[in-house]
Amino acid sequence: MPLTRRFFLHHGALAIAGTAAIPSFLVRSVLAEATAAVPGRRLVVIFQRGAADGLNVVVPYRERNYYAMRPTIAIPQNQVLDLDGFFGLHPALASFKPLYDQGHLAIVHAAGSPSMNRSHFDAQDYMEAGTPDVKSTRDGWLNRALQAQDACCREHHTDFRALALGPEVPLTLTGRIPSIAITNVNSFAVAGRGPTLSPAAQAFETMYAETGDQLLRAAGDETFNAVKMLRNADPAHYQPANGASYPNSEFGNSMRQIAQLLKANLGVEAAFTDVLGWDTHQAQGGVQGQLANRLRDFSESIAAFWRDLGDSAENVILVTLSEFGRTARENGTGGTDHGHANAIFVLGGQVKGGKVYGRWPGLSNDQLNQGRDLALTTDYRQVLAEIVTRTMGARNLDLVFPGAELSPSRFLGLV
Amino acid sequence: MDLFRPPLPSLLAVLLCLPAPASRAQTSAEASSTLASAPSASRSTQLQGDARILHALNRFTFGPRPGDLEAVRAEGLDNWFNEQLHPQRLDESALDTRLAQLPALQWSVPDLLYRYPSDAVLRMTINGKARIPADPIERAIYENQIYRIRIRQQGGIQGAPGSPQPDATDLNTQVAPAIDPQSIRTILSLPPDQRVTRLASIREPAYDALLKSLKPPQRAALVADMTPEQRETVEALAGPEQVVVQELLAGRLLCDVYSNAQLLEVMTDFWLNHFNIYLHKNEPMPYYLVSYERDAIRPHALGHFEDLLEAVAHTPAMLMYLDNAESVGPHSLAAERFKDNAWRRPNGKHQDPPGINENYGRELMELHTVSVDGGYTQADVIAAAKVLTGWTVDHPQFGGGFLFTPNRHEPGSKKVMGQKIKQSGEREGEALLHMLATRPATAQMLSRELAVRFVSDNPPQSLVDRMAKTYLSTNGDISAVMETLFHSPEFWANSNDGVKVKTPLEYIVSAVRASNADVTNYAPLVNQVRVMGMPLFGCVQPNGYAWTSDAWVNTGDLIDRMNFALMLASNQFPGINVDWSNPTTTNPGAFAQAVPTPAQEEARLEWLLLPQGASATTRAAVLQRFQAFQRQTTPDAAQVRPVAEAESLQWVSPQIVRAREDALLAGLLMGSPDFQRR
Repeated sequence: MPLTRRFFLHHGALAIAGTAAIPSFLVRSVLAEATAAVPGRRLVVIFQRGAADGLNVVVPYRERNYYAMRPTIAIPQNQVLDLDGFFGLHPALASFKPLYDQGHLAIVHAAGSPSMNRSHFDAQDYMEAGTPDVKSTRDGWLNRALQAQDACCREHHTDFRALALGPEVPLTLTGRIPSIAITNVNSFAVAGRGPTLSPAAQAFETMYAETGDQLLRAAGDETFNAVKMLRNADPAHYQPANGASYPNSEFGNSMRQIAQLLKANLGVEAAFTDVLGWDTHQAQGGVQGQLANRLRDFSESIAAFWRDLGDSAENVILVTLSEFGRTARENGTGGTDHGHANAIFVLGGQVKGGKVYGRWPGLSNDQLNQGRDLALTTDYRQVLAEIVTRTMGARNLDLVFPGAELSPSRFLGLV
Repeated sequence: MDLFRPPLPSLLAVLLCLPAPASRAQTSAEASSTLASAPSASRSTQLQGDARILHALNRFTFGPRPGDLEAVRAEGLDNWFNEQLHPQRLDESALDTRLAQLPALQWSVPDLLYRYPSDAVLRMTINGKARIPADPIERAIYENQIYRIRIRQQGGIQGAPGSPQPDATDLNTQVAPAIDPQSIRTILSLPPDQRVTRLASIREPAYDALLKSLKPPQRAALVADMTPEQRETVEALAGPEQVVVQELLAGRLLCDVYSNAQLLEVMTDFWLNHFNIYLHKNEPMPYYLVSYERDAIRPHALGHFEDLLEAVAHTPAMLMYLDNAESVGPHSLAAERFKDNAWRRPNGKHQDPPGINENYGRELMELHTVSVDGGYTQADVIAAAKVLTGWTVDHPQFGGGFLFTPNRHEPGSKKVMGQKIKQSGEREGEALLHMLATRPATAQMLSRELAVRFVSDNPPQSLVDRMAKTYLSTNGDISAVMETLFHSPEFWANSNDGVKVKTPLEYIVSAVRASNADVTNYAPLVNQVRVMGMPLFGCVQPNGYAWTSDAWVNTGDLIDRMNFALMLASNQFPGINVDWSNPTTTNPGAFAQAVPTPAQEEARLEWLLLPQGASATTRAAVLQRFQAFQRQTTPDAAQVRPVAEAESLQWVSPQIVRAREDALLAGLLMGSPDFQRR
């Protein structure tokens, strides 16, 4: 097969990254040209379920009222990792600091979903659907972004195009474009992991291929295709590189496996995983404690992922979301309740990082949303729209985020 | 003569004896074409005869066992359902015998926490705030775990996810004395009671080292002849909290598989999901969940919803899970006193005044009763939370019960969803629960949720309305609502037959039931349910798991199901035994003597596992595979083989060959698309 430019763009980037002989500056310039023409980047979406406390994650440490409202859980000025003289990272995010300093990590503060709904489940659904306060949406924004990509650029795609690390496909990825959920790459086989499909697996394949049950036939079809592809690609063979060390946690394992699947050239274009444990109603702690432990796991897993990918990280954009923020004031039990705006992290080789984006609404009592939460100044869809436009080349933003009336002229210039 | 192929006439005779499996996939596929020509069109839209019984068994139980169809046919479907609604008279002696293997499930929460202390209790003994029991065996349970806690503490940051954990077991083996084979033999030769005493005298780290040095058969022998209580003690010496967690989870699966009161178990599972609680919310939670399921959920699972809601609202488990136990009225006596005291200790450590926590107030309305569209506002959430201030737990670390603390209760009258609730302390909460339980929005929400569980992913509104009407006219009698469902034409519609995809729990339990497995070790099942994404008591978020197919049909899940089916059928899970030649799993009268053909053997197992009949495509794929397998493993008398090859074949007894064939057949049937639905 002739190595066409298109093939190179679609499959080549990661292959190059594996070739140590090519100097990385050369790889970068090739990629720079590639992404300008046909965006071939991979998007990794991380959902912090339970509503992370953005005010203790990216701390507005010059705000007097921040300390007044959070007498026991605030991060002291001398403990934050300063970003720009106004904001500082929670000290448990130490592994994010170099990424920020190198200009790979950007932050959008006071961002999130405009919905005032304070139910985790509704707010997560709204955020994942990409249509705040509209209950009837049945598919997810990321799936529609892939649909929008199809509308403008016909490409060859694999069954691994849209991938969720976890037991089920999340709403974010649900929709017309088929997606796949994997809990563990090592156990992704039927009746043993031999070099060929086992006889029992063959029987199952026939059964599911021929069943009149459409739902299960489609699932079976995807399953056996994916099993075969995964067996051929053997992602387990890709061990963490460049000295990357993942935390031995559920999230760390997910990130390690996403890296393996990306490196195995399976054609992953959009990957999703989630990380739980952010619903800190009580005893969330300050510099140490519950939230600090979550943040350490969170940032070390993402930093290890970045390191592991090495030069191919150039081609990846990672974004974090959480359904809403938490109350500006701490509650009576050393925690925080359901709030509004939050902080979004955007990491990537092409990201214009080292900056906190967004308009800061202030934290004085009269500046709070409903008198209790950080007000929202950037709709999360504005951030995602820019990312999907630049990474996937999705043009039809009305399809991705119906009713949001997004325009590239209002992009923040993150990517 | 061909031993494997009986003469044609006898084969036909045998096939004619079989209850004709009405192949569901075919029926539904052909339904549209046959409908017009059917003699009675109205009859054909509703399930009839055995199909009706199997539909009921699939929906109101965790799946039919061999023999269930015949039993219900004999008893009459209406009688059977009535019995399921009022299960008090059912004989549960077999279930009770099995439950006796899990003695911890019978104890009160304080007793459990005393006998098998949580790490929180043990840290209190370390700090001198609680006492270590004097009884030498109980003492040993405490001291062993205290040793492990100390080892962990030495390692630094405790339980911090992501930080490198000190490997306590490595430390153990480093300092532990070597266990010589002779002393192991000595211990194993002791009578059970002396063996327990001897084991309790071996303290950590030696105890762990001893257990590790046992070979699997020795490990089995260590507890084989012990009473359940003795076995529990031996396990508690290795980790007291684990005993409670394991029995809690095993108990759920045990009842799901073996209870005759199947509808009660299905409903218990339904309400445990509706009133979801996460096992690891805090340290005493596993202990409280033993009581939560036993004392709050199961007794009311088929009773009145208001009683259930009241019972749940009074459980320490729910009050802690949704943080109400911590909630304090901002103008309560406790809050005022706190402010006063703060003045008196100007140099004291700064503490924020305790305040309200909205979590339970919100989920009580959103998830437990009126649902998110039930017409409440953020102000109602706060008002409900104020109503419930003071509802807390008495000494949770020691397993105390519900406690209303007037000091924490927010004074004044409140208004929730337009209804005024007069200041009356604890009774305000009762008024709130009564108001929520009797709302039409609650009737709609619960009826829909039940219809989604029992009928289809998108149940007809007519059915939901009828159920909601019954709910409102019977003061929320759950049995009456279920009766309405049972007598509704929508439930029996042909189009609803087999449309529900089994959740992982339903899939696993139905496979275990269909294969008549004898389970003595539940750990593999607990693990499989978790792997498939539905860990028991493992849903972190209060909305519980979804009942709809979209949540459970995906690639990873399908792989896990196929693998589970093959492993279960071939006896690869330790402590779970299936016997495909067992006479009780055999169609009575058929194939008593004859060596069956593949088609006969497939038909026998299909009759056991898919009594409603497999689809033609599944049957063909199973048979094709089976015949290929037979060609590989059995020397075919009709086929002339080169001598050398025949000699090289290892001789395997026909029984073993047949058992392997059956395991493959059964595994394929249980992993088939047909078995994924109910």
